[in-house]
Amino acid sequence: MPVIEYKCPNCGSGMVFDGNTGMLSCPSCGRKDNIEQIPDPLKKQVFIEDEVKEYHCNSCGAVIVTEPETSATTCSFCGSAVVLSDRLSGNLAPVMVIPFSITKEEAMKAFKKWCRNGLLTPGGFMTADRIKGITGMYVPFWLYELHNRVEVHARGTKVRTYTRGDYQYTETQHFDIYRKIRLNYVKVPIDASEKMNDELMDKLEPFPYQQLKEFKTPYLAGYIAEKYSQNDEQLYPRAKEKISSYIDSYISTAVSGYTTVSYTNKQIDTTLKQADYVLLPVWMVHYDYNKSEHTFAMNGQTGKVVGKPPISKAKVAAWFAGISGVSLLSLKLISWAMGGGFL
Amino acid sequence: MRRRYTLWAVLFLLVVYWMVPAGAVAAEDMKPLIFDEANLLSPEERNELNAMANEYGAKRETDFMILTVNSVPNDDYELWTENFYDEYAPGYDKPHGNTVILTMVMSARDGTRNVHLEGYYKAEKYLDSGRLTKIRSKITPDLSNGNYKQAFEKYIKTAHRYMGFEPGVNPDNILFNIWFQLGSAAAIGAIAVGIMAYRSGGRVTVNRRTYEDASTSGIMDHQDRYIRTTTTKRKIERNTGGGSGGGGGGGVTRGGHSHSSSSGKF
Repeated sequence: MPVIEYKCPNCGSGMVFDGNTGMLSCPSCGRKDNIEQIPDPLKKQVFIEDEVKEYHCNSCGAVIVTEPETSATTCSFCGSAVVLSDRLSGNLAPVMVIPFSITKEEAMKAFKKWCRNGLLTPGGFMTADRIKGITGMYVPFWLYELHNRVEVHARGTKVRTYTRGDYQYTETQHFDIYRKIRLNYVKVPIDASEKMNDELMDKLEPFPYQQLKEFKTPYLAGYIAEKYSQNDEQLYPRAKEKISSYIDSYISTAVSGYTTVSYTNKQIDTTLKQADYVLLPVWMVHYDYNKSEHTFAMNGQTGKVVGKPPISKAKVAAWFAGISGVSLLSLKLISWAMGGGFL
Repeated sequence: MRRRYTLWAVLFLLVVYWMVPAGAVAAEDMKPLIFDEANLLSPEERNELNAMANEYGAKRETDFMILTVNSVPNDDYELWTENFYDEYAPGYDKPHGNTVILTMVMSARDGTRNVHLEGYYKAEKYLDSGRLTKIRSKITPDLSNGNYKQAFEKYIKTAHRYMGFEPGVNPDNILFNIWFQLGSAAAIGAIAVGIMAYRSGGRVTVNRRTYEDASTSGIMDHQDRYIRTTTTKRKIERNTGGGSGGGGGGGVTRGGHSHSSSSGKF
C-alpha cells in the first residue's frame, strides 16, 4: 500500500502535523499524538522503485495527481493529507527532518510584516493583499560532511619604513610561509530539488540543526514534500564550491601579520565523509502583483523571508534624490567649513 | 510622498541658483573697466566684456579691470600699472579701492609680450600672488593663441570664482568643484539605492564559521621561515625656501597702496 494516511483513532478525520505543538493533531476533535511514539509504517514495508504508477486516495478512492517529485501532498478531491510512501523509502528515505515550527497563519502574518518593511517596494505591494497561495513544503536537501586537508605555501613580506636624515628607508623582510590546516565542515546544506532556485535556497540558511529529528512520515502530513531529483554525487561539486570561499577566508586568517601574501601553492584535498538526505521546511509564497507572479520562500523554522520583491521606480527615485541631496549638502558644508564658500 | 516633492524642489532650486550667474546689470550703471589701447578687441567685444566685468565685479565688490597697451616706458609694466592705480584711482567701493588689474604689454623692447596682474585691497587679500599666478597660467595659452576675448572672459570668471574662497585655501581643490560635488553625491545615492535594491531580496547570513566543526578543525603545522631583507632608500624632497611662489610677489605703489602681483610672458 504505497499511500499512507493518518486517520484519527477517535473520529476518523485525517490528521495533520501541527507545527506549534510538534505533534500529529486532528483538526476535528483535537486529538494530539506524539509522533515519536507512532510506529512508522514505512519501516515495515519494502518497495521496489517505480513499482507503482498510480496512487489512489485511501479516503475517497480518487486518483492522486502529483508531479513525479512529490512525495507528500493532499488529495485534490477530498483534501486528505497523503504520503506517497514508495517515494520516501529505500534510496529515497530521508535520514532526518526539521519539522515546521511556523504555522500557516504565522507564516502569512510574518510575510505581511516583511512586505511592510520593504524600503523600495511599491505601496500596493506592501499591503500584501494579493497573496495567491502559501504552501508549506519540505524541500529535499543534502547535508554534506566534508573534511579538508589544506596545505599552503606562500611568500609573505613585512614592510617597515623609517627616516634617517634626508632619506626614507623602506625595509622589506621576506618570509617563506607554510600552513597545514585541517578544516572540517559538517551539515553543509545543498538543495536537491531541481525545481527550487538555488540562490533562493542558499539565502534561506541557516536552518536550526538542533531541531533535526529522525525522519518519520507523520511530520509530512498536511504538507507538500518533494523527493530529491539530484543525488549526493551530482551535487558534490556544488558543495565543494560552497565551502571553497570559506576555506579561502580561513587560510587568509591563518596567514596573518604580513603586509603582503602571495600564494605559491594551495593544495586543498577534500574528502566526502557523509551526505545525509534531509527534508527542510520552507513556506513558498506566491504573490500576484502587476500581472506577474513573484515567488518568495520563508524558512519554516526561523521565518526568514527571501525572494525578489518588485521595485518601485518612484521610491528608488525618491531615495536616490534624498540620499544624493543630503550628500550634496554635506559636501557643501564640508567645503564651506574648509573656506570654499557655500555656493 | 510630500517629503519627496520637497526634496525635488530643494534640489531644483539649488541647481537653478548655480546655473544662473546673476541678474542683469543696467547698461547706464556700467563703469568703464576695459581700456583697450592696443586694439585687441572689437567694440562689440569690448562692450560685452565690460558688461561682464561689471556684473561679476559687483558680486565680489571688486573692479575687474583690463588694460592693454602697446608699450610702457622702460618696459616696467609693474611701475606703470601701479602709477595707473595711483592716478586713475579705480575701486569698486571707493577711489583707490578693491581692484584687480590685468595689464597686457604687446610689444616690449625685447620683442616679448607680457601679461601682468595686480590685486588691491580685498583683491590683494583674496587674490594673493599665488592665486594670480594660477589665473595667469590658465589664460596664458589663450593669450598665446591670440584668443584675447576668451582669455579675458576666463580671467574675469576665474578671478570671480577664486574670490569666493577664503584666503589661504587652494581654490582648485577638487572638493570645491561643483561637478565633483554633484558627481559624488549622485554616486553615493546610486550606491546606497543599489545596496538597498540588492538587499531587498534577502541576503546570505551564513559565514565560514556556520558549518565549521571547530573542535576538529585547526592549524596542524605552520612554518614562517625568514629568507632575507631588502632595503630601499629614497631622498625626501624638501621645499626649498618659503615664499608665495609664482612669478610675482606684490609690492607697494608710490601712492602707498599695497598689492599682490604676478607677471609673465606669453
